[in-house]
Amino acid sequence: MLLRTRIALTFLLLLSAVLTAALYAVSAANRSNAAREVQRQLDVGVSVFTRLLESNRRLLTQAAQAVAADYGFREAVAANDTETMNSALENAGARVGAALVVLTSLDGHVLAASGSHVAAGSVFPITAPHGNRVLVDSGKIYQMVTVPVRSPLPVAWISMGFALDDKAARELADITGLGVTLSLSSGARTEVASTVAAGSAAARDTVARRIALSNQGDIGVEATLSRSLSEARAPFERLTDRLFLIAAVSLIAFGWTAFAIARNITRPLRDLTRSVDRIRGGDYELALTVHRRDELGVLADGLKHMQTAVQSRDQSIRRLAYQDALTGLMNRTAFGAALSVALSDLGSTTVAVAVINLLRFRRINEHLGYPVGDEVLKAIASRLSALPSVDSAVARLATDEFAAFTRLADPAQLQAWGTSLLAALVEPVIVEAQPIDIAATVGLALASGVQPDADDLLRRADVAVGRARREKHALAIYQDSFQPAAREQLSLLGELRRAVEEDELRLYFQPKIELATNRVAGAEVLMRWQHPSRGLLSPAAFIPFAEQTGFIRRITRWALDRAAAQGAEWHRAGCSIPLAVNISADDIDERLDSRIAAILGRHQLPPCLLSLELTESSFIDDPERALRVLTALASLGVGLSIDDFGTGYSSLGMLARMPVHEMKVDRSFVLGLASDAGYAAIVRSAIDMGHSLGLKVVAEGIETESIAGRLRELRCDIGQGYLYARPMSAQEFAAWLEGKPRVPVIAPLVDFPAQDHIDTQNLVTY
Amino acid sequence: MTGSTRRGNPCALWVMLTMLCAAAVNASPVTITVATSSGDPAVDAIVVLDPLDSAAPGTAATAVIDQVNKRFVPHVSVVRTGTSVTFPNSDHIRHQVYSFSPAKTFSLKLYAGSPEVDVVFDKPGLVVLGCNIHDTMVGFVGVVDSPYFGKITQTGAVTLDLPAGRYRMRIWHPNLAAVTQAPQEFTVAEKPASIPIIVELDPGRETVAAWP
Repeated sequence: MLLRTRIALTFLLLLSAVLTAALYAVSAANRSNAAREVQRQLDVGVSVFTRLLESNRRLLTQAAQAVAADYGFREAVAANDTETMNSALENAGARVGAALVVLTSLDGHVLAASGSHVAAGSVFPITAPHGNRVLVDSGKIYQMVTVPVRSPLPVAWISMGFALDDKAARELADITGLGVTLSLSSGARTEVASTVAAGSAAARDTVARRIALSNQGDIGVEATLSRSLSEARAPFERLTDRLFLIAAVSLIAFGWTAFAIARNITRPLRDLTRSVDRIRGGDYELALTVHRRDELGVLADGLKHMQTAVQSRDQSIRRLAYQDALTGLMNRTAFGAALSVALSDLGSTTVAVAVINLLRFRRINEHLGYPVGDEVLKAIASRLSALPSVDSAVARLATDEFAAFTRLADPAQLQAWGTSLLAALVEPVIVEAQPIDIAATVGLALASGVQPDADDLLRRADVAVGRARREKHALAIYQDSFQPAAREQLSLLGELRRAVEEDELRLYFQPKIELATNRVAGAEVLMRWQHPSRGLLSPAAFIPFAEQTGFIRRITRWALDRAAAQGAEWHRAGCSIPLAVNISADDIDERLDSRIAAILGRHQLPPCLLSLELTESSFIDDPERALRVLTALASLGVGLSIDDFGTGYSSLGMLARMPVHEMKVDRSFVLGLASDAGYAAIVRSAIDMGHSLGLKVVAEGIETESIAGRLRELRCDIGQGYLYARPMSAQEFAAWLEGKPRVPVIAPLVDFPAQDHIDTQNLVTY
Repeated sequence: MTGSTRRGNPCALWVMLTMLCAAAVNASPVTITVATSSGDPAVDAIVVLDPLDSAAPGTAATAVIDQVNKRFVPHVSVVRTGTSVTFPNSDHIRHQVYSFSPAKTFSLKLYAGSPEVDVVFDKPGLVVLGCNIHDTMVGFVGVVDSPYFGKITQTGAVTLDLPAGRYRMRIWHPNLAAVTQAPQEFTVAEKPASIPIIVELDPGRETVAAWP
């Protein structure tokens, strides 16, 4: 039901109920008032009638007594002078208007009478003196009074009476306002006189009061006072009718008003509903049309404010969705869209995309605080945006990564554009009067093909910047050789999975020789892939790819597990030889120590028989985390070794803090020892530095005895290279090791506490 | 009836008795008692004895009926036909004595003290006396031809000296309802006799009993 109808109906029903109750109360009161009024009138009527009879009686008594006491009359009675008596009686009756005056002897015989129909000598029915008596004579009713004639003892009676006839009834009716009926009853009732029209008084509608006037013998005389209820009710009913009329009129007026008011309320509601529908549809432009000063106006104002708020929130949501909150640049989504638009209309031009990666930005945040970092980012954003270029856009893709594209008329301009981007970042950013150096790597990609894809183009630039970072170049332009074709990549990933699952990977061992004594100090564990179709593959064929895709974590874990198993096997066989496993940057996380512990526990390998080789670059991004992880690993008792020392950018200070035991000098320096004195200086200082930090120094890539001798002179601790042995399979290594002197290892043959199985599971399923 | 009316006027009674005694020659005293069935004396009852054998002797006499305290005193009188009755007024107010009775109809003008004339009751019968201005004043005078009559007093008896012979007895009282026991006729011998009579009285009756 509509609100309008409901409001109107509710009020109508309410009013109807009130009116009904009021009308009911009024008519009930009227009915009872009418009934009570009738009863009261009848009471009054009876009283009046009784008093009238009493008054009549007194009148008659006085008149009769007057004549009875008259001496002359008594003389006439004594003389039995009939004529005189008659005339005296007539005279007395005429005085009061009596209808009948009769003089009787004491024994009831009529002596004289004023009414001609009463014959002298006949017996008159009233014989005893009586104050008030009703006489029925010849069908007429008389109110009679009888007094004695004394001379001085009663000698006769004078009876005097008024006729209770139509005239008397009318008079009584006039006085009382009631219907008066005088009737005789001797079995059946006979009306003698009545003011009520015969048949008009339906018994049901009439209330009557009967007064028995006399009940002598068989004939009773009654006076009936009656009142028609409908007549009595008539004025009340007129009132009730008028009330009904008023009720009907007010109901109609009220109903009309209620509907009007309800419509007045609901119409703006409908308008508001339509406005709300529009707002829901995202149309914020149409003005709300309700202009009122009441609650609905307030509601409309509220909706207007809501519309504004929703609109502004909508805009900010869009901004957040497509804009970088910090710099105001586009985000990746918006950049992709803009790039797509640019790519859709190349014409004779081409589009270049650059991904700009800030180097060591994390350090700025860590050392100078996030507010400074944010300022730097904003400065870079504004510098990049300020670069003059055609149909271009700049975006921030990640914390320290920006992107830009531009339209180039000639592909040859690509390098220049990339350089201009780098040039924009050469100047230090000044934050709080402090100059901050920024180093950036740029990867460039040029749109090619018939329908270049924005995502693909961006990905290519991303690959290029990755390449530049790895190769420590400031700038790299994407080439297809940077990555296998996507399909090849996918198939290689699948093959790698299979390799791990079907046990196609092999561990190879290259011994580490203590240079001073030529004893075997341990072995580095290296990977080979026994590919079913391509034969034995070296790590360079799949490890970089595995590192790119993150699959390296799986491979490392496999290598750790197998190396530990092998080491434990040899250890149980009495040949305790430390094995070093390479760990890549991706492997370093907070749970590495617990995984290592689980592996050691599972294979019952003493920790001192396992060492981990990490490249500098693996902890350069987040040195603090690397420090935590290495500290945890060191506390397990496993050996830690810095690989390829000298190729990264690690500071000596950082190296000093790391709980490592060993550092490996990169083979490029070792190879240079033979020819370049400069390299010798580097190697020497590296060895000295390692020793001063308490580390053992390992030299890789020793191919000749002269180099070995040189290193020995430089007091390098351990050597590794073809001079001693190529990497070998486990069996070959075991055979090679046979009979060779080894650096003794103090490794207990005690049970290593088993680690919790959760890490074991992680190991298996990772 | 009150005691004062029953007591009567001693003077009048004395006159009457001396008159009767004088007439009583060779007579015998006859005592007649009139009482109700319960034994109360029927005061004011009149006893009349009509001689059946011989004519009654005697002459007319006089009587007095006074008016005291708006009452006739005596209330009931009995006189021989031809008696002249005086109606003195002992009250301080005036009275107008009248009678409409057929035995004697008269009316005395309103007066105080002694009336101008006496009234001679010349016909036998009952005369009812009234006062025209005091309806409650009622008196009775029985007028009889016989010289032998009497009225019952508080003693309940009357003694008459009657010559021997036969007599008819009549009994009247204003409230008489019935004579229960009384001889219609009786004979007087020359010796004292006593005749008891029992009557029924109705004090509530409105009309006066008929004169026998």
